[in-house]
Amino acid sequence: MMLDEPYRWAEAVANRREYIEDQLRGGSPVVGLAYRDGALLLTLGQGQQKVFEVYDRIGMAALGHPADVEKLRQSAVDLASVIGFNYSEQDVNLQQIVHFGLGPAVKTAFDEVFRSPYIVRVLMLELDGSEKGAVFYTVDYDGAFQKYEGRGVVGEIPEADGLMRSYLPETGRFNLRNALKAALEAWAAGRFVGTLDEVPQEPSELERLAGEADLQAILKTALESAAVEAVVFDRSGADKRRCRVLGNREIQPVIKPYR
Amino acid sequence: MRAGGDFLDLLKAEGYRLPGADLRESAQGGAASLPFQPTEGTTILALRYRDGVLIAGDRRATAGHTVLYDRADKVIDIDAFSVMAISGSPAMAYEIARILEHTFQYHRRRQLQEMSLAAKLRRLSLLIRDNLPMAMQGIGPVIPIFATYDRLDSRGKIFFYDVLGAQFESADFSTTGSGAAAIRGAMYYNNQWGERPFAELGRSESLGMALRLLHTAAEYDAATGRYERDAGVAPTVKTISADGLRTVTEEELRASHERHIARADGTGDAEG
Repeated sequence: MMLDEPYRWAEAVANRREYIEDQLRGGSPVVGLAYRDGALLLTLGQGQQKVFEVYDRIGMAALGHPADVEKLRQSAVDLASVIGFNYSEQDVNLQQIVHFGLGPAVKTAFDEVFRSPYIVRVLMLELDGSEKGAVFYTVDYDGAFQKYEGRGVVGEIPEADGLMRSYLPETGRFNLRNALKAALEAWAAGRFVGTLDEVPQEPSELERLAGEADLQAILKTALESAAVEAVVFDRSGADKRRCRVLGNREIQPVIKPYR
Repeated sequence: MRAGGDFLDLLKAEGYRLPGADLRESAQGGAASLPFQPTEGTTILALRYRDGVLIAGDRRATAGHTVLYDRADKVIDIDAFSVMAISGSPAMAYEIARILEHTFQYHRRRQLQEMSLAAKLRRLSLLIRDNLPMAMQGIGPVIPIFATYDRLDSRGKIFFYDVLGAQFESADFSTTGSGAAAIRGAMYYNNQWGERPFAELGRSESLGMALRLLHTAAEYDAATGRYERDAGVAPTVKTISADGLRTVTEEELRASHERHIARADGTGDAEG
């Protein structure tokens, strides 16, 4: 194929887009939310870890190919750690990691059509990065990134994101338990969109369909074969280590109604 | 793709060089080495008590006969269960402590698991060895005590090093720095023939013992600072137990001083 012809190149990129989105189908959505004492990252999984600590106040969750997730996670940890050592821990922020690290790396891989692209959608979190308690960045498989305050999501297809976000409160005044509940609902909404054969382009139509769907049943079915994986960055911690994996004691009461 | 996840390797790949690396080259180029005279103006001590490890250090930093600073923190948190207490060149010791802290964190985040105790000790050993050119030229030796709580073994552990990076585990206690000579015998005596061995002391009693030992070291070593209560210059004391690392507060130190030292030497009455 003559990729030096612009049309061919554009066609190749379009093919990559189609291929990646097809690969991402069926991935477990990821939800992030600021709450009263910190910020939460949540997904459902079947054993493969998908939510990670990157630095003191920075976390990452992703859906996609595990090896690609791992490559990006390691890059993020490397970059944050070097900045933290060379400057200070307070100088590490999400903007640097996304703008100078992950975004350009993913974009380069996506554009070079002879290289394999990153089959991922990433959600990054920074505790206390904004007045809403946390900053979130999404990084898409083509390197496009977007900043959100207070809440952030990535669904298995981009069309799911807006709907998922609508299930999350705008301000982080929830306690952890209510934040978990909202995050689970948003996750179910994302899973619902993934099950549609044809996704309406109009957001209001998508919201209407989701309103008619039984999200509780979707969660119930999912919890039969998957477990909730949730990590919080808790600002009330006594030391500077903010990241904490939530255990059964905190998760079970929230998922009990769906069991 | 780097799979090893070693933080110092990552730093070196980014252009970082340990300060000693340049000195090594200048020494090879024919520059005369200074005589090896470690400057260790401090007293650091660690003892295993009933719940874990207590580690303490005075705050004085000296350069020759000059008191350079009287609020230096020489007992440095490395992670939630480990501290490094420094004697020797502060610049190199702080750099080593900073690298070590980042190394442990980096490993946990990158490898998705805590570094084992054996690996932690090895990393510190390698850093001390990398510092050898500075040590051999007499300007940057670092001889730390590394104290930790081994959760697999359910007990506190104390390790000390020589200037080449050899690592040794202390059975009951360890002390280093210029004031160590003044209290090593006292530590042995108290542990052997005191009312109870250190391992049977509670937190409060072991704190009192540590303050007495630092007080004794300051009595005989000019490079060891006293607990200056009027100026609010208190020694740094930390405990590490199964519950993690805890810094002894100034209120606790004042109360302990009153109970264990002031009464004994009559100096504390005025300050109450």
